[in-house]
Amino acid sequence: MVNFTVDEIRAMMDKKRNIRNMSVIAHVDHGKSTLTDSLVSKAGIIAGAKAGETRFTDTRKDEQERCITIKSTAISMFFELEDKDLAFITSTEQREKDEKGFLINLIDSPGHVDFSSEVTAALRVTDGALVVVDCVSGVCVQTETVLRQAIAERIKPILFMNKMDRALLELQLDSEELYQTFQRIVENVNVIIATYSDDSGPMGEVHVDPSKGSVGFGSGLHGWAFTLKQFAEMYSEKFKIDVKKLMNRLWGENFFNPKTKKWAKQKEADNKRSFCMYILDPIYKIFDTIMNYKKDEYEALFPKLGIQLKHEDKDKDGKPLLKVVMRTWLPAGEALLQMIAIHLPSPVTAQKYRMEMLYEGPHDDEAAIGIKNCDPNAPLMMYVSKMVPTSDKGRFYAFGRVFSGKVATGMKARIMGPNYVPGKKEDLYEKAIQRTILMMGRYVEAIEDVPSGNICGLVGVDQFLVKTGTITTFKDAHNLRVMKFSVSPVVRVAVEPKNPADLPKLVEGLKRLAKSDPMVQCIIEESGEHIIAGAGELHLEICLKDLEEDHACIPIKKSDPVVSYRETVSEESNQMCLSKSPNKHNRLFMKAVPMPEGLAEDIDEGNVNPRDDFKSRARYLGEKYDYDVTEARKIWCFGPDGTGPNILVDCTKGVQYLNEIKDSVVAGFQWATKEGVLSEENLRGVRFNIYDVTLHADAIHRGGGQIIPTTRRCLYACLLTAAPRLMEPVYQCEIQCPEVAVGGIYGVLNRRRGHVFEEQQVAGTPMFVVKAYLPVNESFGFTADLRSNTGGQAFPQCVFDHWQILPGDPLEPSTRPFGVVQETRKRKGLKEGLPDLSQYLDKL
Amino acid sequence: MFFIIGLGLGDCKDITVNGLEIVKKCERVYLEAYTSILTCGTAALEEFYGRKLIVADRELVEQGADAILEGADNTDVAFLVVGDPFGATTHTDLVLRAQEKKIKVEVVHNASILNAVGCCGLQLYSFGETVSIPYWTETWQPDSFFEKIVSNYKNKVHTLCLLDIKVKEPTLESLTKKKKEYMPPRFMSVSEAAEQLLQILQKKVEDDGLVTANSLCVGLARIGSQNQQIVACSLEEMSKVNLGGPLHSLIIAGPVLHPLELEYLEQFRIK
Repeated sequence: MVNFTVDEIRAMMDKKRNIRNMSVIAHVDHGKSTLTDSLVSKAGIIAGAKAGETRFTDTRKDEQERCITIKSTAISMFFELEDKDLAFITSTEQREKDEKGFLINLIDSPGHVDFSSEVTAALRVTDGALVVVDCVSGVCVQTETVLRQAIAERIKPILFMNKMDRALLELQLDSEELYQTFQRIVENVNVIIATYSDDSGPMGEVHVDPSKGSVGFGSGLHGWAFTLKQFAEMYSEKFKIDVKKLMNRLWGENFFNPKTKKWAKQKEADNKRSFCMYILDPIYKIFDTIMNYKKDEYEALFPKLGIQLKHEDKDKDGKPLLKVVMRTWLPAGEALLQMIAIHLPSPVTAQKYRMEMLYEGPHDDEAAIGIKNCDPNAPLMMYVSKMVPTSDKGRFYAFGRVFSGKVATGMKARIMGPNYVPGKKEDLYEKAIQRTILMMGRYVEAIEDVPSGNICGLVGVDQFLVKTGTITTFKDAHNLRVMKFSVSPVVRVAVEPKNPADLPKLVEGLKRLAKSDPMVQCIIEESGEHIIAGAGELHLEICLKDLEEDHACIPIKKSDPVVSYRETVSEESNQMCLSKSPNKHNRLFMKAVPMPEGLAEDIDEGNVNPRDDFKSRARYLGEKYDYDVTEARKIWCFGPDGTGPNILVDCTKGVQYLNEIKDSVVAGFQWATKEGVLSEENLRGVRFNIYDVTLHADAIHRGGGQIIPTTRRCLYACLLTAAPRLMEPVYQCEIQCPEVAVGGIYGVLNRRRGHVFEEQQVAGTPMFVVKAYLPVNESFGFTADLRSNTGGQAFPQCVFDHWQILPGDPLEPSTRPFGVVQETRKRKGLKEGLPDLSQYLDKL
Repeated sequence: MFFIIGLGLGDCKDITVNGLEIVKKCERVYLEAYTSILTCGTAALEEFYGRKLIVADRELVEQGADAILEGADNTDVAFLVVGDPFGATTHTDLVLRAQEKKIKVEVVHNASILNAVGCCGLQLYSFGETVSIPYWTETWQPDSFFEKIVSNYKNKVHTLCLLDIKVKEPTLESLTKKKKEYMPPRFMSVSEAAEQLLQILQKKVEDDGLVTANSLCVGLARIGSQNQQIVACSLEEMSKVNLGGPLHSLIIAGPVLHPLELEYLEQFRIK
């Protein structure tokens, strides 16, 4: 391990072309943290004493106990590339002249879906991603999710096939089968990549290719890894072929005939695939001879492969020897760090194409140009992606990436929250940065300043930001775009202190919890109930534990988990709904219609959004959803929160002063879409049309006080007359298990209203993958239930997938939705029973 | 019987004899307290009438009309309105509701700002459409009333501008919540009104040269009370005038004034 002083690190930070900011992403249990360990022991900068301890980046006690990563952790590494390897970096923006050292900032992120918001936060501050795939289980649901997110953020991926030791020792695949497995994983990964980007896009070549060296193979647990580059180097002298050319020959349909010494493109009787022959065969041989204790054979083999064992290791045999041998021959750190330095982009390269995705403002202002050029002398632009708890209870480090300029201790900066609008004063603070710090796992070091392209922490900013924000010195700067999470907080619990006198502590604790997790929502209902909403059961469990032990430090009572529902409509309103303002001088005439299928999802994904040019949006809606283009041009707003999957359309003709009440109607619409008429849940997939408006002649009699409540009443009447329905969230569930357990899975799913839509054997293994839809409401205790019904052999990963209508009319007592509405109303302290149409609908 | 009684403009004694008699004999007496205020205050009224009053805020009048009208079919209920019941503020809806319930309604008229503005010398005959000027918020800045002022001006008539008062209005944020929070009471002054008009003038792209910063305006304060105040000056000057406590009204004079009007206005000119 290299030991650097802060000054030395600071000097590295200025060499922006030699920086690599990267995250490690993968499905749960594919071995990210273990793999990261081998990197840290090779090149970690600080905390030498901790080296070698397993799962270095799992800093929390519960992470160690559960063997699962919960929070993402950053570490910095230093690594020097040899001259022959430097030749692989051709772009001038990928390395400084005459500098061999590379500063690698690595973020290890959790693999469990419930924590994928941590992955999102990690991706935002990095430019490249090491995607780890367990070559035995292949590409799994979370691999796909995180990879998709990475591509959407314009993060360049490289691939690592982990757990080769298992493939060899447990599955005993022959070399051709193993090659096919690798080939399939590479293809699967490239299919996902190609779905969300293409190589002609701004990022350039994105897909991974073993023959280019952007795919690694090995075993994190045993500490060995290689890319084709390592092997090509070994053979290049022997074959007298240039390393790069040889790499191409070592993958794909390249066969070598040892007798004729001829290469061929097809499989023939006496030739063999080069990858198997030159790479897998030696590895197989080592495994075979060592595991079968053929001492003479392997001892003869070592000198041939250039393996020199240390004296104390010579007495080992079996698995321990295997590890030592492989580690000495193909050290994982070396191969991985080379992959990272050669194939991942520097901030200089990455920020060129990432700017337009990151910055909300005009793409030619000072901030945009500063980001684009990664210019340390431009105005400061920094994105805070998450808050990290400090040892000082209740205080947080704001963790983020400097995209432009420099952030320095004591400098005055504008701290802008996600609701900041340029030119306004909301969500904006001008404060001094108390301290700038380097964050290395759980260790922090104060540093004078940090230039663009680096990751760092700030002290003293936490009081002004809830979770994320933009920090700048440029007066006219817009926000850096907020992160889009792939999961939604659909599961919620209510909490209260066991001792009522502890309520203030609970409130304070909830505030801290909200800060410490990028996605958890802590809400105070108007009934006074405290709600915590998270992505899934495990996420909530961890949040509650943190709340109880770290943030509030008081015993807490919690309710059973409940899911949030959405309210929607299934028909057009059966009458024109009229509501009068309190002073009776203003009248609104509206109707509700369900949105065509797919539109709500299009809005969720941002394909249709409030920032679009209204003309092109109207054209899109007209073409795809058959909307009247003139009407579609007059979408007043989206809601709730200005972006949600409901719209308000102005279908009026020639109403005077309509634009003077627009703001009030929009406010009423936001209110009604946030708290629906049935049980005050959010609305989803509803289009409201305003057909006519009668207004008082005088502006003072049609202010917000008159129009906002009236709009809400009218929208409620529209909903009640349009056959309202409830929607429930549904997980997509991926379950891996051996064939014998499949029956048990079906049983459990059937009892829980789930249905299987895909069942497949993982090629080359006896494992099956079952994919199913499962209502979130039925998912509580699902994991435990599944395990007990399959003898502990099935392990599910559930990720929120879509909303689906809960069959039945909620206005009809005895139906299931009716029951849900009543329960929700009771929980929220609303009047039991059904909302009364006559309260909202007025007569002409 | 349901009585709607105008209280006039000045102090408690401006109520008519007829009105006072009714107030004394009624079962319940409501005082409408959100469209205008009497400068003397509720306590002085109660003392003068020798009875308790129920203060009716906007919510009660607009959404709790049933409570006000309750029992009015066989007992007497009075509803007191500052100015005239059908003057600047309209309580027609209340009358309609009463009629729906087959309750008899009687109205006692009184002076309203709509006729009391005559005290500045501009003839009531030559006033056009009346407008209100609302308090702007950051996002809500209607200016349609300005078009009406201009249209009056084109028709060579004066415009009476009633100025916003906020007695107990919920804040915009709390409008969409169940628990209402109220803004502190505010009364627009002539200078604030003139300032908003000047802002509209600045925003106008085309200068039609009709109503400008130099147009003649009359500012009125506390009309009908002992310390009423009237000034006449340009719109520009009006934005700097301080006329003291509420309530204020503003007149934008038409382009052509009758010589008598001019002569009368002269006494209010800022020197």
